[in-house]
Amino acid sequence: MTTPPTTSAQPRRTVTLTETGPATRGTRRDEVVIAVSPAFAGHFTRTIVDVPHAEVLRQLLAGIEEQGVAARIIRVRDTADLAAISHTGARLSGSGICVGILSRGTTMIHQKDLARLSNLELFPQSPLLDEPVFRRIGANAAQYAKGESPEPVPTRNDQMARPRWQAKAALLHLKEFECIEPGRGPVEVQPAFELSSTG
Amino acid sequence: MDIGNSTTEACVAAIDPDGTVHYLGTDLTHTTGVKGTPDNTAGALTAVRGALHRAGRRAGEVTTVLLNEATPVISGLAMETITETIITESTMIGHNPTTPGGTGLGVGTTVSIDDLAEQEPGSPVVCVVPHGWDFDDTATAVDRAVGRGVDVVAAVLAGDDAVLVTNRLTVPIPVVDEVAAVEKVPLGMLAAVEVAAPGRTIRTLSNSYGLATVFGLDPDQTRHVSPVARALTGNRSAVVVRTPSGDVTDRRIPVGELVLRGAGKSLRVDVDAGADAIMETLARVQPLDDAHGEPGTHVGGMLAQVRDTMADTMADGAADLVEVSDIAIRDVLAVDTFVPAEVRGGLAGEVALENAVALAAMVRTSRSRMQLVADLVSDGLGTATAIGGIEGEMAVSGALTTPGVDRPVAVLDLGGGSTDAALLTREGECSAVHVAGAGELVTKLIDSELALGDREVAEAVKRYPLAKVESFFHIRHEDGTVQFFDEPLPPQVFARVVVLTSDGPVPVPTRHALDHVRRVRREAKRRVFVVNAVRALRQVAPGANLRALDFVVLLGGSALDFEIPDMIADALAGSGIVCGTGNVLGTEGPRNAVASGLVRAYAADSVAAVPDAPAPGLAG
Repeated sequence: MTTPPTTSAQPRRTVTLTETGPATRGTRRDEVVIAVSPAFAGHFTRTIVDVPHAEVLRQLLAGIEEQGVAARIIRVRDTADLAAISHTGARLSGSGICVGILSRGTTMIHQKDLARLSNLELFPQSPLLDEPVFRRIGANAAQYAKGESPEPVPTRNDQMARPRWQAKAALLHLKEFECIEPGRGPVEVQPAFELSSTG
Repeated sequence: MDIGNSTTEACVAAIDPDGTVHYLGTDLTHTTGVKGTPDNTAGALTAVRGALHRAGRRAGEVTTVLLNEATPVISGLAMETITETIITESTMIGHNPTTPGGTGLGVGTTVSIDDLAEQEPGSPVVCVVPHGWDFDDTATAVDRAVGRGVDVVAAVLAGDDAVLVTNRLTVPIPVVDEVAAVEKVPLGMLAAVEVAAPGRTIRTLSNSYGLATVFGLDPDQTRHVSPVARALTGNRSAVVVRTPSGDVTDRRIPVGELVLRGAGKSLRVDVDAGADAIMETLARVQPLDDAHGEPGTHVGGMLAQVRDTMADTMADGAADLVEVSDIAIRDVLAVDTFVPAEVRGGLAGEVALENAVALAAMVRTSRSRMQLVADLVSDGLGTATAIGGIEGEMAVSGALTTPGVDRPVAVLDLGGGSTDAALLTREGECSAVHVAGAGELVTKLIDSELALGDREVAEAVKRYPLAKVESFFHIRHEDGTVQFFDEPLPPQVFARVVVLTSDGPVPVPTRHALDHVRRVRREAKRRVFVVNAVRALRQVAPGANLRALDFVVLLGGSALDFEIPDMIADALAGSGIVCGTGNVLGTEGPRNAVASGLVRAYAADSVAAVPDAPAPGLAG
């Protein structure tokens, strides 16, 4: 077998999210909104298991693009609650479909007509989410937007994830909580990916 | 009382001294245990008590409980694949990734992307990309090579990246992705990659002469590649690599011969000849005495399995064991079907629909242990019990209580294991037949053809109409009508094909579109019930002539199905037959025919034998 030109062990890409104005409701039926949490790709740059946020976004975007669907990214600033972030995104999405994501990696696919605390697919164990899973989450969200019936992404389960990662998850959540800007609405962001040798 | 394969039905009636019957109440419940075994008692008692409760009577008022003489018919099923597709030397990738990239046809030599940097410009190249390559890197590498003058005409990828790569290329090329075993693609060989536009299928590689043109083949070689072309028909994308001896074969698996004995002769038929040939041979040896499979072959195994299951069933709880060799198979229904199977030698987990034959076999047994059930029911209720009446005759008698029916009447009892037909002529003569194959076989066909791997889901697909959930507030039914809801539907049914059960929509775990699921369901029902209805009626009809029948009444659980009665009625319409679902007693629908028939027979007998018979009697 051959090897890729550079190993993906060291992160090569970084992402900066530039705010471009208040997030508005999409009119395209073929778009999926990715809603990120207050500290995503800002205060934090990696998930709980050190998957770079740049890679998380790239894979989500790639999964959506591969299905021929458009994507838009927004940042929700006034809450760090995944259900609230995802539901906000879903109501702004032209297709009604949104992928919500927290800095530590916890992810959810939401639909605008669902109750806030419900969801289409939930990936609660952030330590088990890696790049291929994010790709499949993006692909599934896009297929829902197209009205197709994708197989739900298999949710992995690890009995040890909770004892092993709970403390770190709690700390990350506290930090994310500190980044909340109360009373400020969601903003549209533009991603800029850059290659960097150091990561 | 009628104890059937899947339901136990009871009916309470009071009989006047002059023989007039007053029906008081009915009930039905699931049969407990295998029909004709002592396990039935629990279900029988439940049904009787239920019927009495509905009639507002007490058990003490019952004079007699009448039980049917259970038809000693048990059926079994087996299925065997008879074809197998094999790809040798990794010549073909015929899978259908949902999202290939670009469009058009690219013909060139296969080169790994790792060697693309050293590739000399000149001849056209098909780039092969192994696992681990990022889509951005792949696009950059290809663009750089194209910039140097290398003619990259197509690409084959391991990951699900085709659209991503195509979107990033300066000059778009056809790209086939999700080729899991991409490392097995032979390098340095001439290959062709074709991708069709969305909603279209490939034109060149699925055409033998297209392949001949692309690879410059002579007539002899063209004959050789025609299976490849056929295997690619209907795909949106494909890759064909020309190797010295690569091939796709469609092998028939030797499954052995079926030996059918009856009518004083013994005929042999190859099972891989298909269902039609088997059924035709079967028709020549009617009535069938026994069927055997060639020992040591698949069909031998199939029938042995059926026999073993039946020996177990009959020996269940009995003091003496039943010899397997004593069991004679009295009817066989063969149905052509297909099973999605992974192609041997395929590189991308290609799935081919392999032909298969499903066999339903029916065994007649000499021993019925209904007397044991009758004794137990008698103990349970503290009343006398009597076993009487041939099931077929009783069913006809019950069917005659359907409004608008007259002699001569034929009934079709569409059950779970067997389809039964009985005919009552104008003169009052009754004849009955049992043929193998009914509801269970339909479920099995749906299960295997949709690759559901779940009998429960297949059963639901069989029983309920389909719909597609288009949003949380509306569904589109299989006939195209849209239904809206005030309350949102549950999230797990969103965007899925569902069956509309009485408990609401239940998702069907399949990637197939609604239309495909519907077609499979209807075909399975047609191949079993319509074929069997015609076959069974021919056997009871005078001179095997369907036109000699006037009224056909459909009975049994499958007569409650939402489309089977219509399909049978359609099939019989040409013979000028009045056909419809029975409505026993004018209220019970296709249920309770045998139990009602038993009461009628008892009433007629009691008037004839003892003119001042006491009331009330009970059939339950």
